[in-house]
Amino acid sequence: MKMKGAKQVHYDSGPNMTPLVDVVMVILIFLMLAGSFAGTTRFLVSKQGIHKQGVGGAHPDPNKPIETPIEIRINRPPTLGGDDNGFVAEGTGIKPTSSPDAIREALRVKREQFNAAGTPTDQLQVVLYPGRHVKYQDLIQIYQAALQANYTKVAFATSH
Amino acid sequence: MKKHSMPEMKEGGVNVTPLIDIVMCLIIFFMLVAKIGVARGVDKDIKLPNALLGKVIKDMGTTLTLNVHHMPSGDPQVTAMVGDKAKEVKITDGTDTPLLRVLKEFKRTHEAKAVVIIRGDQNLDYGQLEMVLMAIATAGITDTAYETKEGTVAPPEAHSAAPVAAAQ
Repeated sequence: MKMKGAKQVHYDSGPNMTPLVDVVMVILIFLMLAGSFAGTTRFLVSKQGIHKQGVGGAHPDPNKPIETPIEIRINRPPTLGGDDNGFVAEGTGIKPTSSPDAIREALRVKREQFNAAGTPTDQLQVVLYPGRHVKYQDLIQIYQAALQANYTKVAFATSH
Repeated sequence: MKKHSMPEMKEGGVNVTPLIDIVMCLIIFFMLVAKIGVARGVDKDIKLPNALLGKVIKDMGTTLTLNVHHMPSGDPQVTAMVGDKAKEVKITDGTDTPLLRVLKEFKRTHEAKAVVIIRGDQNLDYGQLEMVLMAIATAGITDTAYETKEGTVAPPEAHSAAPVAAAQ
């Protein structure tokens, strides 16, 4: 007995898309799993290395011009506990402050003074002297303040 | 004149064209946004410090990433990609200095292009970071990059400067 339904005409309207969809789906799933979408990470790049104090300290390279250090001493207030952030920074021409903005402004003024006296910015180096318990987040804030004041050379020194 | 009528067109299944359009858009989006690169042993448990400035390092091939964890006391815990997998590299282990050894080997293989990326926890004490910086300097590597996360920090409370010296 012949079935009437089996006689219905079946037209394909174009190429078979199934393999394409399969491949595209595999690529999509791979990208979704392999990619990382965490917040943008950036890098504060330094070519200065750590300044060692005392015995074993690095000798200056005689082939390079002597850089003028601008020293900033950073301490952690004793009133802070645990992992709380906070610092007090002071240096030559920088009054004690806990504000990165104030440090940036003081550094900017110092740079302009040096520039006016004939010392180019690339011969200036900001050297951070942190205490042992100063938090890394605070140091990054101060490091950033120095970069915002248009210094190109920022270095850490051994703790005091 | 005999009229030719268009042949009857019947769809054989579901129309997948809109699906492909959307999927292609998603693929292009993921290709542009996703960061698929060389595994560099990043420890995602580390809370990076926030910063607004910073550069993007395009060539990660000449970098060594050191994950520096905050520890309550003593040496920090450092992990890095050694060989093909990330593992802990102690700063000192008895008389041995494994971190210095790894850094010297890295310097030897990459010479002047060697860059060490420091992926430090935002609560890390400088005393602990200093140990890592000293090892980097001792290995003869001068290029260091401090990895940060894009963002701002709430301004710290004002502190009086007077009693600070006694605390250190």
